[in-house]
Amino acid sequence: MSGPLSDIRVVEICDELGQYAGKLLADMGADVIKVEPPAGSSARTVGPFVRDVPAPNRSLNFWYHNTNKRSLVLDFESDDADREVLRKLIATADIVIEDRAPGALAALGLGYADLSANHPGLIVCSITPFGQDGPWAQYKSSDLVGLALGGPMMMNGYDPEDAPGAPPIRGHGDQGYNTVCHYAAHGILAALLFRDRTGRGQYVDCSMHEALSCTVEVGMPYYLYAREDVVRQTARHASARRTERWLVHAADGRDLILFGIGRDNSSWRKLKQWFQSFGFGMNFDEERFDSPASRQPGRGSAEASEVYAEVARFVASQPGESVYRGGQERDQAWGTVRSPEETLDDPHFWDRGHFVKVTGEDVTEPAAMPGPPYWFSATPWELRRPAPKLGEHTVELRASLV
Amino acid sequence: MLFDGRPFGRRIPRMTDQPLAGIRVCDFTWIIAGPTCTRVLGDFGADVIRIEHAQAVDSVRMGRPIVGDAPTYNNSGFFNYINRNKRSVLLNVRHPMGFEVVKKIIAESDIVVENFSSRIMSNWGLDYPQLKEINPKIIYCSISGFGHFGRDMDFTTWGPTAQALGGLTYTSGLPGKPPAGWGYSFMDHTAGYEAAVAIMMALHHRNRTGEGQHIDMSQVEGGIVLNGPAILDYTVNGRKWRREGMPPGNRAWEPKVAPHGAYPCTGEDRWLAIACMNDAEWQAIVLAMDEPAWAADPKWATNAGRIANEDELDARIAEWTSTMTDYAAMEVLQAAGVRAGVCQRASDRYERDPQLRSRDWWHVLDHAEIGPSEYDGVLPKLSESPGSLQRAAPALGQHTHEVLREVVGMTDEEIAEHEAMGVLM
Repeated sequence: MSGPLSDIRVVEICDELGQYAGKLLADMGADVIKVEPPAGSSARTVGPFVRDVPAPNRSLNFWYHNTNKRSLVLDFESDDADREVLRKLIATADIVIEDRAPGALAALGLGYADLSANHPGLIVCSITPFGQDGPWAQYKSSDLVGLALGGPMMMNGYDPEDAPGAPPIRGHGDQGYNTVCHYAAHGILAALLFRDRTGRGQYVDCSMHEALSCTVEVGMPYYLYAREDVVRQTARHASARRTERWLVHAADGRDLILFGIGRDNSSWRKLKQWFQSFGFGMNFDEERFDSPASRQPGRGSAEASEVYAEVARFVASQPGESVYRGGQERDQAWGTVRSPEETLDDPHFWDRGHFVKVTGEDVTEPAAMPGPPYWFSATPWELRRPAPKLGEHTVELRASLV
Repeated sequence: MLFDGRPFGRRIPRMTDQPLAGIRVCDFTWIIAGPTCTRVLGDFGADVIRIEHAQAVDSVRMGRPIVGDAPTYNNSGFFNYINRNKRSVLLNVRHPMGFEVVKKIIAESDIVVENFSSRIMSNWGLDYPQLKEINPKIIYCSISGFGHFGRDMDFTTWGPTAQALGGLTYTSGLPGKPPAGWGYSFMDHTAGYEAAVAIMMALHHRNRTGEGQHIDMSQVEGGIVLNGPAILDYTVNGRKWRREGMPPGNRAWEPKVAPHGAYPCTGEDRWLAIACMNDAEWQAIVLAMDEPAWAADPKWATNAGRIANEDELDARIAEWTSTMTDYAAMEVLQAAGVRAGVCQRASDRYERDPQLRSRDWWHVLDHAEIGPSEYDGVLPKLSESPGSLQRAAPALGQHTHEVLREVVGMTDEEIAEHEAMGVLM
């Protein structure tokens, strides 16, 4: 084991909400032991499943979020002996991550005060929808509900003419859960660094609602500083005022995001030549287009509206990939709108060894999935083992705890 | 909150109690992704020193909303929001004397972070081998669109293009419509979060071994990792997300449950999100709606039945929510144990949301130029060594002299000399 956390043991008592936090630590070397009830974590019931056959070891959602973990089945909610095993296990651990409702583990005698009494170095992180206290602490949530209350949803959606009456839209992929897990990892690691220095552990209270409320970019400062709400628009930043469209459609039906067109004059010259070689933007040499500011969206510039409209016509005449690569080669940070699986087609990420392959129940041919979000030169991300089968490590772990 | 019988949250910790006390960050970041990373580090007590240059000012310093009539570099609410708890130094790194100064700051730092395009640092003579010569234990984190290696390493991104290329924009939208995407740079936030995770892991490794390292991040990869199950559905089952009927809007993908969506309430553009994950939760919704006659039809009793009739189901529920305010409907449903929440705007979270307020989420700090300025809190809450808001975002170059004295050990005469040579601008 070579990861930066290879000296750390984590006990994870998490389902859908908190499991990504455990993965972040496990993928970097921590020994993460997932404690599951006899029926398995509810995350094992979340599809898609291998060949659409639901079973505890066939959830691809579980496969992805539980790499590098071990699975220990303990009936710790109803069986005193199993609860004792869990206590013994936690006595050997550095970190506990749990995502039960506030107070649920304390009711079983497994709260932070209980666990830390003889283990002052222990770090316990609770991941919950709203935090441990407050009027909504016991309210029920989900990824959708979290993204609604936290603010992201109201910033995603359509211009009225694109989809009259459309609601705010939630982006998929359980991004609310992912976001709170990033914050949980921040808190856990900050606590770990404090422990490196002082030997003292602590309790970490991580709220999805807070995590999302500060993950809406200009949305929050616009209110804090201007007392205005931004309004959602099709495929571009929500804004206090309507702005130029960035989403353009290529000849082959591909969508692209053009975030900025010629932000500086040297790239603008290259772009103009390119457009004009296809017969577009023949008036772009006029002086009124010379100022970079006049070409940028969102500032009410007549030239910007003209540039965006003309470039949309240019894009509509070209294949999407040519626009993407041609723009990038001319210093434009443009991007094709890809579905998740289409990212597999980009050789750049294979150059970087980004995708890794797994096998599992009924899957003998290794299947690709995303690997590291970051490259460490000394202590690299590593797929040491696929997600565990339910209870796969119960025997070995129980034996180690007697 | 009550924690071991005593409240925490209002307590203002001393900086030395903070988890990253004693950690210094030489911060070359700009725009959003990099500053978001160093916001996390600064919130937990690291000494974050922004290296800025007046000839190439971080454009977010001019980003709206602006306090007052015109941008001054110091009155952007957006800049302030992501740069609290940091210091700002004006320094021309391309001037030979400025280069010597920055080398001394790096020598006294634990971390160097930047989010330039991928060749800038090596053009400056500050790539990882060179940084390591200056400071053998340095942790260097580079955040760029495509990372520092691979065939397209020179391509660049902003948040909106990174989320398009990484597969996120596509997943947000109604079937048969263009993507709705994310109405903000979700991937600037997330790349910054991922970088902060990575840096703190590298710090732990360094605490154990004394070894620093280079962390290379691609903002697009940081997005690809957020849709693992969708990618596995393709590589294992051969099923693409790009297909008829996808993306499914607010309806559930996996697990496929219903009802699941945003429903209209009274008032203009007011919506309530409801997620019903199983049949028991459906029964709770029926009770909360006061058992309308239509809901007695047995076809609604099972998830399969609800999915088979999802259009009708959504219309029925919208009929009910349309008679109520969003918060009232949320309370009725939550009282019945149903997952429901208002689609809140920023004004709602600030003015009406009782949860954030009860957890001391809003703060005011004194800013050098604009005076009282508002911020949200630090999360998560650590019981022994909490993060905190120590200082407002820095005015451009506010701490140049202070940092040169304290960190670099320069005398006032040396500072004056550098000033006269045009290095500190």
